[in-house]
Amino acid sequence: MNTESGTVYLLDDEVGMIKALTRLLTIEGFTVRGFTSAKAFLDMYAPSEASCLVLDVAMPELNGLDLQQRLTRSGVLLPIIFLTGHGDIPMSVQAIRAGAVDFLTKPVNDADLLRAVRTALEQAVKQRDLISKTALLHERHARLTPREREVMERVVAGQLNKQIASDLGTGEHTIKVHRARVMEKMGVESLADLVRAAERLGKK
Amino acid sequence: MSWVTVIWSMSASACLTLAVVHGSIWFKNRAAHANLLFAMMAVLVAVFGMFEFLLMRSTTIAEYSWLHRWGHVPAELLIISMLVFVRLYFGTGRAWLFWLVVGWRLLALALNFLSPTSLNFTEITALRQFAFLGETVSVPVGIPTPWARIGESGILLTLIFFADATVSLYRRRNTRERHRALFVGGSLLACIGGAMVIAILNHTGLFPVPYCASLFFLLIVLAMAYELGQDMLNAAEIARELGETEQRMTLATEAANLGIWIRDVVRNEVWASDKWREMFGFTKSEPIDLNGFFQRLHPDDRETIRQTLANALERDGHYEAEYRVMIPGQPLRWITSRGRVEFNGNGKPACVRSVSMDITQHKQADLEIQLQREALAHLSRVTMLGELSGSLAHELNQPLAIILTNAQALQRLLRQSPPDIAGANEILQDIVGEDRRASEVIRRLRALLKHEESTRQPLSMNEIIEEVLRIVRTDLSGRGVTVQRVLPDRVLKVLGDRIQLQQVLLNLIFNACDAMSSNPLADRRMSIVMTHHNESVRVSVSDTGCGLPLEAEQVFKPFYSTKAHGLGLGLPICRSIILAHQGRLWAEANGAGGPGSTFHIELPAVTEETP
Repeated sequence: MNTESGTVYLLDDEVGMIKALTRLLTIEGFTVRGFTSAKAFLDMYAPSEASCLVLDVAMPELNGLDLQQRLTRSGVLLPIIFLTGHGDIPMSVQAIRAGAVDFLTKPVNDADLLRAVRTALEQAVKQRDLISKTALLHERHARLTPREREVMERVVAGQLNKQIASDLGTGEHTIKVHRARVMEKMGVESLADLVRAAERLGKK
Repeated sequence: MSWVTVIWSMSASACLTLAVVHGSIWFKNRAAHANLLFAMMAVLVAVFGMFEFLLMRSTTIAEYSWLHRWGHVPAELLIISMLVFVRLYFGTGRAWLFWLVVGWRLLALALNFLSPTSLNFTEITALRQFAFLGETVSVPVGIPTPWARIGESGILLTLIFFADATVSLYRRRNTRERHRALFVGGSLLACIGGAMVIAILNHTGLFPVPYCASLFFLLIVLAMAYELGQDMLNAAEIARELGETEQRMTLATEAANLGIWIRDVVRNEVWASDKWREMFGFTKSEPIDLNGFFQRLHPDDRETIRQTLANALERDGHYEAEYRVMIPGQPLRWITSRGRVEFNGNGKPACVRSVSMDITQHKQADLEIQLQREALAHLSRVTMLGELSGSLAHELNQPLAIILTNAQALQRLLRQSPPDIAGANEILQDIVGEDRRASEVIRRLRALLKHEESTRQPLSMNEIIEEVLRIVRTDLSGRGVTVQRVLPDRVLKVLGDRIQLQQVLLNLIFNACDAMSSNPLADRRMSIVMTHHNESVRVSVSDTGCGLPLEAEQVFKPFYSTKAHGLGLGLPICRSIILAHQGRLWAEANGAGGPGSTFHIELPAVTEETP
């Protein structure tokens, strides 16, 4: 049995469906947690690792699409795969637009489901990577001295050392030293990398 | 021939003729005691008349004495017969007086034979002869006995008895009885009184008159004969009226196609009218018995009818039944019968009278109406399935989805080495379970779609409600309708057709949902309440929707609909289904309870002991 990283959350009001999906996904090496009510899921969900949600659209108390909105609004980045008994096009369009990974109709083919789950988990990993990288950049950025930040701002804005030196009222050589510090502290090798980091930090 | 001969012989022959007539009446009808007594009296009058005649014509003392003694026998017997006649025929007269008079008369008769000559004379010394109605007749002269007064007071007592009986009868104030009192009683009193006077005159020798009491007796006999004749005339009149009534009844029963059957339970004899015989395939002369009757019934009905008849005889005293009659070579026919049992004094059944009618045509018409109603109900069910399709698709899709996922999980499980057999088994069990669930959905669907003859069987109303709610579960949640159900813990049963009752409930539930479709989601509440109400089960479906038209009954009119695509046949069909179940279906506005309406179904409850 090969193991896959990440947890698959299942949410369906039918225990039979949860059991069947759990079996299929467990055999394929996924860690699975099933819930029959949205409330139970929300209580238990912890965004500590890469995970995705397989969600039945027609839930009795909280409709699948509503749950999706609620999660997005509270800033949870959880890739969702919708399952539906009788999906219509407007519904699927709405779901996809709101960021759903896939919209599958029941009975669902195992290959389709597994492909969707893998995609969702990959997306989750990427999102997590992205999130963790950004967090690192923030950390590094915080370690810069105020002068280094001013230099970085101007570097990524495309100013030449000479211009920066005259702007800040120092010599060109000093700016060169600051610039090298910034590159080192931010962990980038090239100007292009620094620009991309600044973009991620929203400093551009 | 002298007048005496003519009168006495005519009197005798008149008496004997009457005796023969009334004797023969009694012979034919042994219960006619009055006629027998009368015949006896008439014979006695004739015999007594003969004695009188011989006495008149007797010329020797020895012969006269003998005749005088033996003449008392018919005389006393005659008086006693009259006493009995009055007791029987009038039904009045004091019993003690009756027995006193009878005893007195028997005493007089005994003294008559103890005396050397007769009751009146110790010895007849001479015969006095004189001319009477053109003939020389003899009257006795002799020494009276001391007991002669006994004979005379006997006559007086007789008179008192008759007078008492006559007055009592007269007091009854019935015209017919007064007439009898005046006529028979009056003649009895007058004639016996007259006879007594003549006897006294004779025996005292004050005024010689020949013995002619038989003529008075003849008058009495004639009066009685007249009365009896009146009775017979009346009886004939009644008989004629009876015949008329019977003819009228025959005419009426024939016109109404009614067959009549009367069974004497004690003698186990059956009489049946011609129409009845025709109805049950008996020829006019064929003897009828219960077995022959049961043989003609449809085998499925025999036991029920046997039971119905037994119940009527043992307890109810009446019955009403519908059953089928099968006569070889004839089409099957439906008969309805109503019967009443007549009980005798001991409370035992004496006879059963019943009326039967051929209701084949009614039944056929009923059957056609029922078929039409069923076809309509079926059509409405099929239409309703359009509304149900969402639910059914979901209900069917869900198990299929679970089966597919399980099956594919199983495939993957078996590809592993070593394959997980225990796991595989578990998966297969779930597959089987879900498959069953799917086929249950299909069974329900098929039952609703099926068009078959409706059946009546005891059904749990609780189950029907639960099953309908299972069918519409998804639809209700899809429409955002919440259902509150208030069902009693104990099972309430009704007699009916499962599918049709489900159809009615489905219809009411869909109507409730439609009525609430423009309500905000939180206000789409429906309730289903079942209660037990005096011998019936009531199911009430309430909604918080748009309510009813002012005239609530309108919703049950065909083609009345508030829905864009409604045919307006749902509720009328529901009502016809409920009516066919001997129930009621009506609508009410919720009024003070809030907006919306409530539909009530009321069906007769089935108690547990009824099969």
